[in-house]
Amino acid sequence: MIKKEPAPLIETKSLFKSYFNETIETPVLFDINLRIDAGEFVAIMGPSGSGKSTLMHILGFLDVPTAGHYHFKGESTEEKTEDELARIRSTNVSFVFQSFNLLPRTTVIDNVSLPLLYHSGTRPSDRPARAMKAINAVGLTERSTYLSNQLSGGQQQRVAIARALVTEPEVIFADEPTGNLDSASGKHVMEILQKLHKEGHTIILVTHEKTTAEHAERIIHIMDGHIVKDDRSFARRIASQVKELK
Amino acid sequence: MQLRDTVTIALKAVTGNSARSLLTMLGIIIGVGAVVLMTSVGESMQSVILGQISALGPKTIALWPGKNGPEQGAATLNPDFDSLTFSDMEALKRLTTITDVAPIIFVEGKTTYGKEQSDTRVVGTTPEYYLNQIVNAAEGRLHDAQDELEGRAVAVLGPDTAKDLFSNQSPLGKRIEIGNQKYTVIGVLESVGSQFFQNMDDRIIIPFETAHTVAQRSYVNMVTAMATGDPADAIDDIQFLLRRRHHIIPPETGPATDNDDFLVRSAEQAQEILGTVSASLTGFITMIATISLVVGGIGIMNIMLVAVTERTREIGLRKALGARRKDILLQFLIEAIVLTVLGGLIGMLLGLGLNAIIVGIARKFLDRYIFALNPIAMAAALLMAAGTGLVFGIYPARKAAELSPMEALRYE
Repeated sequence: MIKKEPAPLIETKSLFKSYFNETIETPVLFDINLRIDAGEFVAIMGPSGSGKSTLMHILGFLDVPTAGHYHFKGESTEEKTEDELARIRSTNVSFVFQSFNLLPRTTVIDNVSLPLLYHSGTRPSDRPARAMKAINAVGLTERSTYLSNQLSGGQQQRVAIARALVTEPEVIFADEPTGNLDSASGKHVMEILQKLHKEGHTIILVTHEKTTAEHAERIIHIMDGHIVKDDRSFARRIASQVKELK
Repeated sequence: MQLRDTVTIALKAVTGNSARSLLTMLGIIIGVGAVVLMTSVGESMQSVILGQISALGPKTIALWPGKNGPEQGAATLNPDFDSLTFSDMEALKRLTTITDVAPIIFVEGKTTYGKEQSDTRVVGTTPEYYLNQIVNAAEGRLHDAQDELEGRAVAVLGPDTAKDLFSNQSPLGKRIEIGNQKYTVIGVLESVGSQFFQNMDDRIIIPFETAHTVAQRSYVNMVTAMATGDPADAIDDIQFLLRRRHHIIPPETGPATDNDDFLVRSAEQAQEILGTVSASLTGFITMIATISLVVGGIGIMNIMLVAVTERTREIGLRKALGARRKDILLQFLIEAIVLTVLGGLIGMLLGLGLNAIIVGIARKFLDRYIFALNPIAMAAALLMAAGTGLVFGIYPARKAAELSPMEALRYE
């Protein structure tokens, strides 16, 4: 009897992406073949303009590829309608952005509750409890009633992480999460991401900083729209765990 | 996403920038406020006027010498128009469809009492006048058949006239002078207010016989009477009688023509005319309100388009967090409706407040002015405001909903 291997969480085959500006085509990604399994902590690394953010946006259903195939949990995503994609965004994936993207003049708890408005699985009466659970996980329990603009950058990014956690998604995408932070806050944010990974979350991180990428178990190097190196060596994993121990 | 959430978001967006929201709503506020104010004032005025006519009684009939047409009513200002004679009066009194026929002669000349002077209308008429005008004496007595018979120099004053000439003194038994003739005041009428914007409390009534002698006139300036049944029948009879007596070319009955040398009206007809006036006034107000609401709606659309541009990143974020097109569409649409309905409610309160002030002022001049509302017009104005929000909110809301999440997030 052959044991059927579970479908990978994310699988792309010959993925291409171009941007079109009137008649000019600007190709960004070329022939991306990628497989990411549940529970991985992956960093997509490359210089600015390499296409790493575009790749993350496609993987996170914020953008669509120009050609090629993208299977999510074994399911093809090419034929999905806009509402079906919105549903995947509300239940299966979530984002942490470089510039936090919190709603201004809005409390921490309301910011964290925001995805639950669009999450069909949560009853309105359960929202505060779920939001508080996510806020506890990033250590901001005492600040839940603060307005987002009353917090420091590091705290704001932790609110954004709580917001990404609140729907308990399968993948958390983080786009340069430390890019706007000082090194101490950045370190704290990465520690939280590592803790989440240890608890079983799949995390896909986009960064151009080597020090940030090194928190991950696996680093996909991307350059001019091509994957140039997929570093998932045992040595990487050890290094990542050592970093965690420190 | 539930509707309650959407409304909460919309309310937050509106109150979050209250100064701008208020400016945005201004068009709607003014539109709805104007409708509420104007319809309320209209309603109050109508009840004042209708109240007076019904106090007069719908069966009261007035008859003037004069021509129909563009110069309608001019005869009352021209005492030389002599088409209604005393023998016409005798014929009118024999009609069965009218009763209490009172001929009127206007007497010219200033009225004086000591140093006090007045330009009040002096009406020479018979005691039937009190019956068809449904008015009683508040003080003293009304003049009677005996006064007529003897052609006595007596006068009955309207309450305002009495106040003008005598302040707080009792006028009874005092001698006033009209023209060069002295009259003894025998009574003061009760207050009846205004009638067709003429103050009926400011008049002096003297016996017809006396007026006849003083004015040296053998025709009458006006006739009032009371219909015994349907006022329309009474008018038909009067027209038939007078056209025959004055040898006016047919038709002998039917509506007034240019050939007539008299005008006849019932209070009921006056009510109908008033109804037409008030209907055209309502139409006019509706037109102004519509224009105002459309202008207000364009303001709302404008600001919603600004809001969509301003909040492009927020829209992108919401979409990234799983909001569907429908959720975004509804959010902005409801925001526009909240803006207009809120504007409508503020406008309504403003209209009511201004109306209350107007009522307070008008009460000083018109005892019968009451605080009246037109709930249908108010509801319609509010509904129209909400409709404006819906219509003018659709375009910006669609624009917001169609943004791609990625482009919206990148927007600077």
